[in-house]
Amino acid sequence: MSFQEKNITASLVNFTLILGFFLISLFQMVQGGHLTSEYVFRLWGIVAILATVGTVAIIIFTHIASGVIHTMKTSEEPHIKGIQDERDTFIELKGTNIAYRVSSIGVALSMLTLVFGQQPLVMFNLLIFFGVVAQIIADISRLYFYRRGF
Amino acid sequence: MGKRHINNTIRTLRFFHNEMTQEQLAEQVGVTRQTIIAMEKGKYSPSLELAFRIALVFNVPLEEVFSYEAEDDTR
Repeated sequence: MSFQEKNITASLVNFTLILGFFLISLFQMVQGGHLTSEYVFRLWGIVAILATVGTVAIIIFTHIASGVIHTMKTSEEPHIKGIQDERDTFIELKGTNIAYRVSSIGVALSMLTLVFGQQPLVMFNLLIFFGVVAQIIADISRLYFYRRGF
Repeated sequence: MGKRHINNTIRTLRFFHNEMTQEQLAEQVGVTRQTIIAMEKGKYSPSLELAFRIALVFNVPLEEVFSYEAEDDTR
């Protein structure tokens, strides 16, 4: 597995955990009758911070782990060069394209909830949900392109 | 229009150029070893610039490295 694939796998795990946390928190809010704007926006903030900090932590951890494993295997100092070439850039852009499409569908569905008279909180929760799902689908797509080609 | 497919002889050319490794070729053309592997397996078609750089490394015309094969559309 290449460095990029490891990075993407770690990101996939990170966002899957964030999605799980979000859904569990939302379920608890609904069960406890706490589906208010205060709690929903607090959850938004937590998800946003987790996503940002998690992504940065993953990149740092992957770099360090790759370097340590490389040194253990080869007894050489790790040589970190320009890691992203044209294929990596192309696959990343394809993944981003897919993420945008999923996000667009999510935004459209979120707006539909307002049309059908649902609370604005439903719209906000759908927006977060599809935002995270878009990132997960993009990561899965990138892994697919790395493995199967295109 | 049928499916297009680009073939290459990178692996063979590497062998006949002092058994050049994938890593060495990757360094000379400015990509990762994984990209060279993907090209040899037919999972990735390089950009025009990269194709020319590879041909330059082996000092052969582009057509000796890459060939284009259009499959017939039977519909």
